[in-house]
Amino acid sequence: MPALEDRLHQVMADETARLHAAPDLAERVIRSARRRRMRARIAALTGALAVAAATPLYLTAAPAAGPAPVVAETPAPPAIDDTPAPRSAPPDLGDLGDGKAFGHVKVGYLPPRLQWGHRSWDYGDVYSTSWNYDGDEHGPYCVHIMVFEDQAVQKLDDEVQGYRAEGEGEEVTVGGRTGYTVVANVGEDGGKGTPTLFLTMGERRRARIMLSPLYADDLGGAEAVDRELRRIAEGLTADDQPALGRRLAGD
Amino acid sequence: MSGTDQDFGAFVAARATSLLRVAYLACGDQAEAEDLLQTALERTYRNWHRVERDNPEPYVRRVIVNAAISRARRRAILRIVPTRTLPETPARSADVDLRHVLMDALRALPPRQRAVVVLRYWEDLGEAQTAEVLGCSVGTVKSQASKATAKLRTALGETSVEGVIGNARA
Repeated sequence: MPALEDRLHQVMADETARLHAAPDLAERVIRSARRRRMRARIAALTGALAVAAATPLYLTAAPAAGPAPVVAETPAPPAIDDTPAPRSAPPDLGDLGDGKAFGHVKVGYLPPRLQWGHRSWDYGDVYSTSWNYDGDEHGPYCVHIMVFEDQAVQKLDDEVQGYRAEGEGEEVTVGGRTGYTVVANVGEDGGKGTPTLFLTMGERRRARIMLSPLYADDLGGAEAVDRELRRIAEGLTADDQPALGRRLAGD
Repeated sequence: MSGTDQDFGAFVAARATSLLRVAYLACGDQAEAEDLLQTALERTYRNWHRVERDNPEPYVRRVIVNAAISRARRRAILRIVPTRTLPETPARSADVDLRHVLMDALRALPPRQRAVVVLRYWEDLGEAQTAEVLGCSVGTVKSQASKATAKLRTALGETSVEGVIGNARA
């Protein structure tokens, strides 16, 4: 009997033999990249025009020195989009800059070296974003925060109640707020599970703070993982709540 | 058409089918594989001036595999948002021949284990090369490959002496 590896190779060959890339794939990729570039230029031009429009006249009335200004041609209309529609993705939170303010919350602490991962999603009452080492939207995440508000709070509370009932995890108090930590199994591989801290942020808001199993390994032990989770939780504040630091300073 | 476009077009014509197959094995779904490939190629095209100096294929492969893992993880996270509709999963065939058993078992592997299997046994990459693509250690590749093959053996019913011997030899 052939080795498993050989059988696997044969099965994978059989399974993929019918697949062939579309003949016009390169053209579609090039067109799509050009459209993206054009949109970025138009966005930049629109931004520049907005700034110019907001500039007082006396700042612009002086005779210009140097070469004559280049008049930008009106960009050609984008080509007809004949590429297949992308598969439906959840709406996102847009450009979050450093990612430390998203939705109705602010992140006061992140472990060193982490950058916003340029990835988020927003379902209204549940939204989230994540951070990783290089800010690459395709890269694996290190820290991921999901925020549950209003109607969604109950669902998260039910999940925490499930962990409590099974005796997994433990109650914690972080910066005067209650929470629950557990190593959750959300279907990820690469470790024993996902270290998670559920944080209560008032009656109508909860946060689920997760460290990826691989990042947890990088941190080097349960103690460091717990410490970082708590620090992140402690620094996480809501727009409609005074930050812990400000409250302490005022005490 | 510019020289860049011609070079890029030649690369896609030569390698896109092979890369599509990698994408399919990494994610288990044809439509998603096509989307993964197009995403990876768009990124490659944007960076062509840097990528073309070396062989662009490892770069595209790395984007495909890591994007597949990342998307699988996002789906796993979405499963814990109970009110949302999950992405469709491909229908499973009732056919129980070897190919279907193994492919179903491959699809059922956690995404990183699946990626290790695809890179090691389909792309014939070594442990160090696989680790480089996935951005992890060789030790992680070894442990993930070991876990994956144990699960595949189980799926084939090789949990008895043969599996033990195979593991011992590995």
